[in-house]
Amino acid sequence: MPIAPSAAILDAWHVFSAAAEIGPGPYRSTLLLDTRLDYRRGTNGEVEVRRRDTGAALLVIERYGFAWTSLGSPPDDLFSIPEFYEPDRKNMSCGSLGVNVSAPRAVENFLDMGHFPYVHTGILGEEPHTEVKEYDVEISYERDEILATRCRFYQPRAALSADEGQDVEYIYRVPHPYCSVLYKSCPADESRLDVIGIFCQPMTEETIRAHLLQSMIDDENTITAMRRFQQTIFGQDKPILENQYPKRLPLDPRAETPIRADKSAIAYRRWLSQKGVNYGVIPQAA
Amino acid sequence: MTQTMTDIRHPAWHPIASSEDLPFRHVYHGQLLGQEFAVWRADDGNVNVWENRCLHRGVRLSIGLNEGAELKCQYHGWRYANRSAGCTYIPAHPADAPARRITNRTFPAVESLGLVWSAMGDVTPFAPPLPEGNWMPLRPLPVNARPGAVLAALTAAREAESDVESLPPLGARLVLTGVDGRAAVFFVQPVDSGRAVIRGVVEAESWDDQLSLLRLFNERLSTLRRQVEAEMALEEAPEPLVPVYEPVSLELATMPDLRFGRQAKLRVRVARKWQAGADVTGLELAALEGHLPTFQPGAHLDLFLPNGLIRQYSITNGPGELLSYTVGVKREPDSRGGSVAIADELREGDVVAISEPRNNFPLRRDATRTILIAGGIGITPLLAMAKTLASSRLPFELHVFARSPEHVAFPEALDKLGESVVPHIGLDPAGTAAEIEQLVSGYGFARHLYVCGPGPMLDLVRRRTAEAGWPEEAVHFEYFKNVNEIDLSSTFTVELARSALTLAIPSGKSILEVMRENGVDAPSSCEQGACGTCLTTVLEGIPDHQDVYLNDTERRSNSCMMTCVSRAKSDRLVLDI
Amino acid sequence: MITLYDFELSGNCYKLRLMMSILGVRYDIVPVDFYPGREHKSDWFLKLNPFGELPVLVDDGLVLRDSQAILVYLARKYDTTGKWFPVDDPALTAEIEIWHDFANRITGTASAARLTITMNYDFDLEKAQSGAHQLFRTMDEHLWFAEREGREWLCKADHPTTADIACFPYTALSEEGGISRQDYPAIRRWLDRVRRIEGFTAMSGVFPASRAREAS
Repeated sequence: MPIAPSAAILDAWHVFSAAAEIGPGPYRSTLLLDTRLDYRRGTNGEVEVRRRDTGAALLVIERYGFAWTSLGSPPDDLFSIPEFYEPDRKNMSCGSLGVNVSAPRAVENFLDMGHFPYVHTGILGEEPHTEVKEYDVEISYERDEILATRCRFYQPRAALSADEGQDVEYIYRVPHPYCSVLYKSCPADESRLDVIGIFCQPMTEETIRAHLLQSMIDDENTITAMRRFQQTIFGQDKPILENQYPKRLPLDPRAETPIRADKSAIAYRRWLSQKGVNYGVIPQAA
Repeated sequence: MTQTMTDIRHPAWHPIASSEDLPFRHVYHGQLLGQEFAVWRADDGNVNVWENRCLHRGVRLSIGLNEGAELKCQYHGWRYANRSAGCTYIPAHPADAPARRITNRTFPAVESLGLVWSAMGDVTPFAPPLPEGNWMPLRPLPVNARPGAVLAALTAAREAESDVESLPPLGARLVLTGVDGRAAVFFVQPVDSGRAVIRGVVEAESWDDQLSLLRLFNERLSTLRRQVEAEMALEEAPEPLVPVYEPVSLELATMPDLRFGRQAKLRVRVARKWQAGADVTGLELAALEGHLPTFQPGAHLDLFLPNGLIRQYSITNGPGELLSYTVGVKREPDSRGGSVAIADELREGDVVAISEPRNNFPLRRDATRTILIAGGIGITPLLAMAKTLASSRLPFELHVFARSPEHVAFPEALDKLGESVVPHIGLDPAGTAAEIEQLVSGYGFARHLYVCGPGPMLDLVRRRTAEAGWPEEAVHFEYFKNVNEIDLSSTFTVELARSALTLAIPSGKSILEVMRENGVDAPSSCEQGACGTCLTTVLEGIPDHQDVYLNDTERRSNSCMMTCVSRAKSDRLVLDI
Repeated sequence: MITLYDFELSGNCYKLRLMMSILGVRYDIVPVDFYPGREHKSDWFLKLNPFGELPVLVDDGLVLRDSQAILVYLARKYDTTGKWFPVDDPALTAEIEIWHDFANRITGTASAARLTITMNYDFDLEKAQSGAHQLFRTMDEHLWFAEREGREWLCKADHPTTADIACFPYTALSEEGGISRQDYPAIRRWLDRVRRIEGFTAMSGVFPASRAREAS
């Protein structure tokens, strides 16, 4: 029997498809929070979504190349990624990939730098350069998001446009319990940042579709090549995520063993606890 | 009747793998009663049965790497030692010893009858269910059915009117139909509520052609499996058992180390005492039972001598060697009594007390090249480092300075390290200085240098590396002792921020002593400002450093101090204790 | 020069990258946006392979499709040892072909399950998963007895063949299709052995093995 998501999840916007993959014609189907949805693009060009169990039509917005809906009463708009609208960026979906893991585990992995040398060997990290240097994390109550700054890591090949190793700077945002956005040094233009987003669609507590966004400054490479790069990275994370136990993210600080490098993960778990998130997590015992 | 779930969950020894399932450098994915195991054989033959979950982020260790003496997690490269399952290295923080004791959950492991046995919960010591003999394991057969039903099906499939000898909890000796009357013993491994593995053994000499025998039984059991699974398909599948994820200790989750002063927590037996070099006595200190705690390369222990003295010795072991610690003791004529007592009075077989290992000389493994420089008995911590680097195939060179070839301690261990060891024999002070100057001349990015030896040698390395442009944090020292004269004359006040205590420190007493008198237990080891164990964070005030452990940057920062010898320049110090 | 039309997450493409890495053959890659772009169904790709399937390998103007066929081509043309696809022993050649067919069956089940979960394909997941388990039971038994007979590889030879390369990728990726290999310890050991073949290269979803026995 699936659990009922608390308001923090029920009333949030959730991604359910890349916008470009929704066409007119027969309804397509997906699962969100254990609820079967059917969706299509209507004749007026608007995306239509309805619950299969009640037939109720749901609200839809399209943002950052993806379609979002809600099973409750969502806020007026989704979190903002202003860079997406800069005219010279190449924006793309890198696919919506199903993974047998909870959404919070996938987000936490996205925030993690320590695994680069072991999981993304030769690309985002390489032994012996394994150190996670001190960085800053804050929970911004005003904007209701987590911000990790001054993150630096040695990377042999930080992006497709990088051809030599460098210390790469990262900024991480967690503006949504199941979404994270990172900004990293752009090899093509030192003054700007590439943007990569992971938006997790919680199908059930322990299965997701991870929708991947890239918003890049890169005049040289094709969309296909840039997608391939991001899919390679995510494909490397996948077996790790699917071998994590328990699959739901434990919020009890004593469930696992954090180290200094996990500051952002610690903040993320605390933030989920404070928001009362109960779906895809093992809540802290009262 | 099949057994109920409460029966099969009763703590008992079950087979969880065949011995031959654990070949060189492999990790077997096991499970008992819903609890997954990572099972691996170390190069020394020891079988480890661990919870299949890295304590850091819950990733299965069965996808990790068996590196011979350590298991390396695939996610963040954390290393766990053979036998103890203690974490020895966290690559994200290469400069730190994993200060908090992180140890994976382990389960007992016994090899008997060609099978690996383990248990959960409180069990009596393992007793072989069959007399030792020439037992040959059959091909194990996983069955998707309730373990009790599998045992019942085996029993029902025996030759008519033949005997069954029951071997609790889930075993039976019987003669199956269709195997030419050959008796076999079957143990049903309860993998989960609805999954089992049939592990059979037969007496190997009962058949000339063992392969045919194995095939015959495999065929027979496969038929049985088809029947059992077909019957099970009609039933509702039982709910899987829920594994217990034990919480990590409160200490690991929330607090800095619970810290202790000098404590003789362990008892060890002097298993071997030998001449390890011209003036060095080698001591192998063996666990009385089981294994000793995890250590990291560079770690030392306190040895509590029969004459009441306490001395520190570096552990020379390689990774994952936890059945004994090997240390080297230099016999010094002007010693304060420690080395003479060891050399003369300790005998093989004596039981002595030691502290748990502590590491204030941690080895980074993120260097592109590591230079180890040992002077005399200073070889001991560097030997452990060299063994670790060699087993991880990290590039290093170990420079051994000694008076004569006979004065090189632990020659056999050094031989095994091959060409990475560079001896420098019989040099006078000028020759040593010239050699060291050359060794440290080439600083490059991500190089690290570790040196342990007599004070003048360390001072020399300190000067020469600074001149050659080595950053302070790339040069690591271990002093044998602090030869500075300690000035205990000042008086001042110390506030312990977390303990909410204010202490007056009179002249003649150290901060550490006064804290002890007031019931504040703080860690310490050498108590002469050399080993780094009593390192304490300073929140306010200016320390008067008298140790040899901190480097200049650390001293100038006024943010930390050694409470055993250092004092205050300001009237007041606030410490994070 | 060889050109491989390639999708990083495809096990069938990976077979060829693996084989060429082991043989030390140099090649260029043309990335094909299989997902989400469905570029393998585009006009330009259908001209290369009317079935709209990856991989395609072009060697000096010769256009080849079907991963097992290409494995045979690479082994016959570039393997100077003659061991990866031996043709002087009819029984062995036939045995390799049997395992090539087995590899296709693994693709039809384990890969179908993976595509269903990972890329939202509309296959019967349960059927694909149980089909893969049936195959893995057969394969585990085969490998267990091979070990008893002192062999390490799928076929009766003292060295690996294209059969091992053909069966490796989708077996190693099975967990992405929700197919656990816990019940197949002999397969798990064989996966370690393949990952220790000299020249082995990984793909996303397959990690390298720890070092094998050191020469001492």
